[in-house]
Amino acid sequence: MQTQTSTTIIVTENLGKSVKTSNGTLHILSGINLQVASGESVAIVGESGSGKSTLISLLAGLDTPTTGTIRLDGKSLTDMDEDGRAAMRNQMIGFVFQSFQLLQGLTALENVMLPLELRGEVNAKQAAVALLGRVGLSERLTHTPRQLSGGEQQRVALARAFVSKPAVLFADEPTGNLDSKTGAKIIELLFELNLENKATLILVTHDQTLADRCQRIIRLDAGRMI
Amino acid sequence: MNLFGLALRLLWRDSRAGELTILFLALLIAVTSSTAITLFSDRLERTMTDQTAEFLAADMVISSHVPIPESWLKKATGMKLDQAQTAEFSSVLIEHDELLLAGIKAVSEQYPLRGFLKTTVSDYSAETIEHQGPPPGFAWVEKRILSALKLNLGDPVTVGEKKLITSKLITYEPDKQGDIYSLSPRVMMNQQDLPETGIIQPGSHVHYFFQFRGEPEQLAEFKRWVKPHLNLAQRILDIHEDRPELGSALNRAERYLGLSSIVIIIISGVAIAMATRRYTERHLDATAILRCLGSKQNDVLGLFIGQFLILGLLTSAIGCALGWFAQEILFTLLRDLLPQTVAKPGMLAVFFGVMTGMTVLMGFALPPLLQLRKVSPVRVLRRDLAPLPASAWLVYGLAFSIVGVLIWRYTEDFNMTVTLFCTGLALLLILGLLAHLILVLTRRSLSNLSLNWRFGLQGLLRDSRATVSQILAFTITLVAMALSFTVRNDLIENWRQQLPEHAPNHFALNIFPDQLSPVQADFKEQGIGGSQFYPVIRGRLTEINGVPVQKIVTKDSQGENATHRELSLTWTKNLPEDNKIVKGSWWPTEKKAEVSVEQKLAESLKINLGDRLLFIVGGQQLTATVSSIRSLRWDTMKPNFYMIFSPGTLESFPGTFITSFYLPENKKNYLNQLVKKFPAITILEVDLILKQFKMILMQLTQAINYLLYFALMAGFTVLFSAIYSTLDNRIYESALLRTFGANRVLLRIMHLIEFTLLGLVSGILAAIISEALLFMLYTRALSMDYQPTYYLWIALPLIGAFAVGITGRWGVRHVVNTPPLTVLRDS
Repeated sequence: MQTQTSTTIIVTENLGKSVKTSNGTLHILSGINLQVASGESVAIVGESGSGKSTLISLLAGLDTPTTGTIRLDGKSLTDMDEDGRAAMRNQMIGFVFQSFQLLQGLTALENVMLPLELRGEVNAKQAAVALLGRVGLSERLTHTPRQLSGGEQQRVALARAFVSKPAVLFADEPTGNLDSKTGAKIIELLFELNLENKATLILVTHDQTLADRCQRIIRLDAGRMI
Repeated sequence: MNLFGLALRLLWRDSRAGELTILFLALLIAVTSSTAITLFSDRLERTMTDQTAEFLAADMVISSHVPIPESWLKKATGMKLDQAQTAEFSSVLIEHDELLLAGIKAVSEQYPLRGFLKTTVSDYSAETIEHQGPPPGFAWVEKRILSALKLNLGDPVTVGEKKLITSKLITYEPDKQGDIYSLSPRVMMNQQDLPETGIIQPGSHVHYFFQFRGEPEQLAEFKRWVKPHLNLAQRILDIHEDRPELGSALNRAERYLGLSSIVIIIISGVAIAMATRRYTERHLDATAILRCLGSKQNDVLGLFIGQFLILGLLTSAIGCALGWFAQEILFTLLRDLLPQTVAKPGMLAVFFGVMTGMTVLMGFALPPLLQLRKVSPVRVLRRDLAPLPASAWLVYGLAFSIVGVLIWRYTEDFNMTVTLFCTGLALLLILGLLAHLILVLTRRSLSNLSLNWRFGLQGLLRDSRATVSQILAFTITLVAMALSFTVRNDLIENWRQQLPEHAPNHFALNIFPDQLSPVQADFKEQGIGGSQFYPVIRGRLTEINGVPVQKIVTKDSQGENATHRELSLTWTKNLPEDNKIVKGSWWPTEKKAEVSVEQKLAESLKINLGDRLLFIVGGQQLTATVSSIRSLRWDTMKPNFYMIFSPGTLESFPGTFITSFYLPENKKNYLNQLVKKFPAITILEVDLILKQFKMILMQLTQAINYLLYFALMAGFTVLFSAIYSTLDNRIYESALLRTFGANRVLLRIMHLIEFTLLGLVSGILAAIISEALLFMLYTRALSMDYQPTYYLWIALPLIGAFAVGITGRWGVRHVVNTPPLTVLRDS
């Protein structure tokens, strides 16, 4: 078993997730023991269905494990209730999804302001405007997601992820819905922002080149780390 | 592509996945309620018509002062119409030195063709139902005959020259006429004994009633055939023409039933539209894939319409069965109130229920479904590519046309349909704009609000078009429920007021002027108060502006009936209670030679203000100018007059007085004293008519109560399913908010604010529309007095806020507990 260092931000012990199906219990993840140091960038790779997305959803507190524990910044996510996990997400975590997941009824600016507003910060607007400027969307503040291209939407999503200065950023196939050129630009931006923020990055990807840019690669096969 | 097979497969999968549950429920409610209500109201209406036929003791009656020709009866026999006859006349009975003017009624074997008689040999609690009159040699009499003539049951009573044994007390007679001239206590005898009485001589004043029963078509044909043969003194009676007080109660009840049907259909239609919208949204991806794989636009549309048709027919079949059971249950519940024989359910009504269901389904579901036709195959690559929504004209046009046709079908009144329809449409448009305006203003003030409120309101502002249509949908549902409830309350209250507990149950007439004061004093002594005495002078209207009335009237009109007989004319200084001036003005002081004419008669005779009417009164001519037209209520059991003259016009003519008064059952003996003291007075007892009338109103009230419960139930169910159909997007957004750290309390408050506001705004708009529609309904359709319904202004916003708030909050309850990832993945 690995030991926890003072800079470790994520620790899992014997993490597992299984669901009951009509053909018995399906083990999506099992026996995951993992330590991620603060500021480290980690790529999670594996075949489709190997449990990548499930793993980051557990690490980010979006879902609850069937077995094992997760500690985030020294606090046990598994002992928290949903509101506790929500508060942790709000304080410490940023997300970038494959399908952007922007709120359709809100403008780009409002989408980016959202995490800060939930945190109750008063200067949400200035921070959001600044970050949208940083991702090159100063001219698009009042546009709704429908009025933006895929690449632009993902840039809004990046701004939203970093606006709250998260300690950990989870990115689930961030370029999966984009063409390679746009995807490459988004990845550049993601790593730049990550560097500026000194955030820990946990990235799920199929793309080996992208995975190679991370400091560490974790491979999953049939729900187990190999 | 085998569309049908694919449609069936997709339908099966969708239904297993729960995609069709809301649509199925909404449609089921529509079909079940339309079938149940159509069946129920159709059966109830036919039962009521049958029952009201009892008031005539037949389906149709020819009244005549001479026997009608044998050939008419043969014609009726040829048309397979059952027949019965009664002859009514007055005769003085003398027993034990007591004199009594009795109303004799000689009935044939088949009498009554409809309804029944009730008799007793002891008291009113042991009544027996009789389907035939007395056998030859016997007489059935009203109790007052025995007490007035000092007889006991079993004693003989002599009618003319014939001795008849009094065998039973008659307590109920279906066709007892409220006719002022047949008011004396009843002696019923067999027609076979009539010749032996020796009373019927040429020139005797006898009123014959030739009664017929049969199928509606045959009756209508016979009526058409016989009409041209009638002389001026012969009349055809049917319930609507002859008993206006019942006619109006039935008409209102029928209209209420119709209104309830429309209400439930509209509510269900709204739910179907919302459920289909949700269904469409959830099938955009599948459609894009089908399009991508090469389906043509029309194939896709055919596929989904095919699914809806299959779903519609299956659901209709289930709905029909449920509707059938529902109306059977209603009839079982109403068993004690309804007549023993209830009309059979009509298959046509079942068919109509299904047709209504299918029409409403297609009318409300087609426009959202058409959107699927426009789904671009590119959507498989870009999921955010939503098809353009169907044209608003199509969406609302189709739904409104169907509602318009339904209103027209139930009201059968083109003008009223147009009025109601246009009012509703205009109100919806105005309120749609108003709702939009409210949203725009809210958006402006958003930045000053707290996070909870801002997020709650943002839920509404995000897609303002969808919010406006949701508000309108809830508004329509609340309006429909409010109308159903309020009209029912006022209808029942109106009936209750119409026949208060102590409604007059006797008329006293032929009170000579010199007896007026003694009679009034006598009434006072007996504690009979509040009666108004009207002078009655008999007179005939002969000319209007110099033109003989016979040239003005049309055959069989109310005008004709009023002009070929003498009218009861009266004069009074003050406008009688329950009368209302609709044109002109009431005379302020004594002003000679003016007359106020009843509205319907004025319409029939085309009488206008300022017309000069010529009357023949007691052999003299009298001219009066029309100074006002009055509407009045014939159903109040108080003396009513077609013509009221200004004071000083009629005083010189000989006349008598009439009044109506209430006398409780235990004071009935007073009638004998009264008649003894003032032998010239004629007393008309209307207790039986009143009792019958009250019974019918009670039955109608019960039936209407059940319908209301049904409408309210449908309303709430639909409200719930409508809210559910709007939840998908809310659940997704809540999950996203949770991903970014929103806690459950915030989400709960946010949802509560969002849904409660949605309901509150809908409730306020519903109060405005309800008030306007109620005004239109009362003044145009139901002929009832309009009073602002203040409670709606409080109740509707509260109910809206509460029902929508709680349901919405309950609907999204899972989102705060389900892992957000599950929701995001599903989306």
